[in-house]
Amino acid sequence: MTPFELMEPQTLQEAVGLLDPDDASVRPVAGGTALMLMMKAGVFAPTRLVSLQHIGAQHSEIGVSGAGELRIGAMATLSALERNTKAAEAFPVIARMLPRLSNVRVRNVACVGGALAHGDPHMDLPPVLAALGAKVSIVGPKESRDVAVDELYTGYYETVVGRNELIADVIVPAMQSRKAAYLKITARSADDWPALGVAVALHADGNTLRDVRLVASAATAMVMRLTEAEKILNGASADDATLKRAGDAAVAEAPIIGDIRGSVAYKRELLRVGVGRAVRQALSSRPTH
Amino acid sequence: MSVARTIHFTLNGRKVSTEIEPHHNLVELLQRFDLFGARESCGQGLCGCCTAVVDGQPVSGCLYFAVMVDGKSVTTVEAFDADGALSKVQQAFIDHGAFQCGFCTPGFVLMTHQLLQDKPNPSDDDIRDYLSGNLCRCAAYPEIIAAVKAAARAGR
Repeated sequence: MTPFELMEPQTLQEAVGLLDPDDASVRPVAGGTALMLMMKAGVFAPTRLVSLQHIGAQHSEIGVSGAGELRIGAMATLSALERNTKAAEAFPVIARMLPRLSNVRVRNVACVGGALAHGDPHMDLPPVLAALGAKVSIVGPKESRDVAVDELYTGYYETVVGRNELIADVIVPAMQSRKAAYLKITARSADDWPALGVAVALHADGNTLRDVRLVASAATAMVMRLTEAEKILNGASADDATLKRAGDAAVAEAPIIGDIRGSVAYKRELLRVGVGRAVRQALSSRPTH
Repeated sequence: MSVARTIHFTLNGRKVSTEIEPHHNLVELLQRFDLFGARESCGQGLCGCCTAVVDGQPVSGCLYFAVMVDGKSVTTVEAFDADGALSKVQQAFIDHGAFQCGFCTPGFVLMTHQLLQDKPNPSDDDIRDYLSGNLCRCAAYPEIIAAVKAAARAGR
């Protein structure tokens, strides 16, 4: 890695002040696992990194409210979330996803906020949180704002988070009677970056699907909702014909990208069958209470 | 401007301090203390050869900024036989021939210590899951799993 200036602020506001809205070579760094990969690959050479380590303790709390809402401080590590039994009980879909997200060592260091802000469409956490209807609170130099996770991404490694803004918290609305699943398809080891991620959250009203939120990742340039496929699923029953039509609609609306984990043609077929499998997985998931 | 800074941390039970530049990783830091058990191999956090334990949690040294250990406690594989005797995990690896070339072994030994701390009686699945991020290119996996179970029986 090439040399850079390191700043270590003690507060969130101080950190925001050290960022530069006009300079892409100045970046915040939380755990640093993803950023170091980019730096080692030579695709990112920062002039300045603003380390969030010293403010981590104030922003890493994980709690589930009485009503079942999950709140995660952005500096919570992925393994802290994995080990949090209350979060795991309230959101089994998150608990099931985390053990296949990279390995123990990376999860011990990588942070929830970084996983969301990095904008890499191959990450596992963003599609799950987007399907669950989570939002993030973003702190800037003047004010804070809330943004839904499914509206966070604008392109490949591109987000609506400004260069001088930081994600401070993640809020996930209560599961209530929803069911959810995350289908992760890898082309190599089980814990590899996925070739396709499909996350879904829905209400099952008898045989009828309602309030379906369907999110694709990894096969697409960014984490994105599949609204056309959602329209087909909403109000329908999860029979073979409907799931097939939803899969076809997903392929028609999603901009698929090829990479070393699969060509465009391959990922298109993964998505076509993945949508139905994710919905079936959600329907067969255990209720949360 | 990259400016070297002084960091203070506990290394294998000993308080140490050194100057380090921000772009160095934990493996490079350990090398300055003549500790070569953690080796950078894949450089992407996938293989586990660079494993070190920071504040009781295993990390990939190749993906960990050295400055982040400031004020923390670092343990490397060299801590285990510091008193001249091998740890039960190390002995189990030898007894079961759980390596051929040995390049990946420090990472496996550290991860096994951590696994047994969290789960003293791990199942096969627990072992495979916990060690999935450690690669052995000699493919001594069956012997490694046997060694982990033997170490668990021996109670570390």
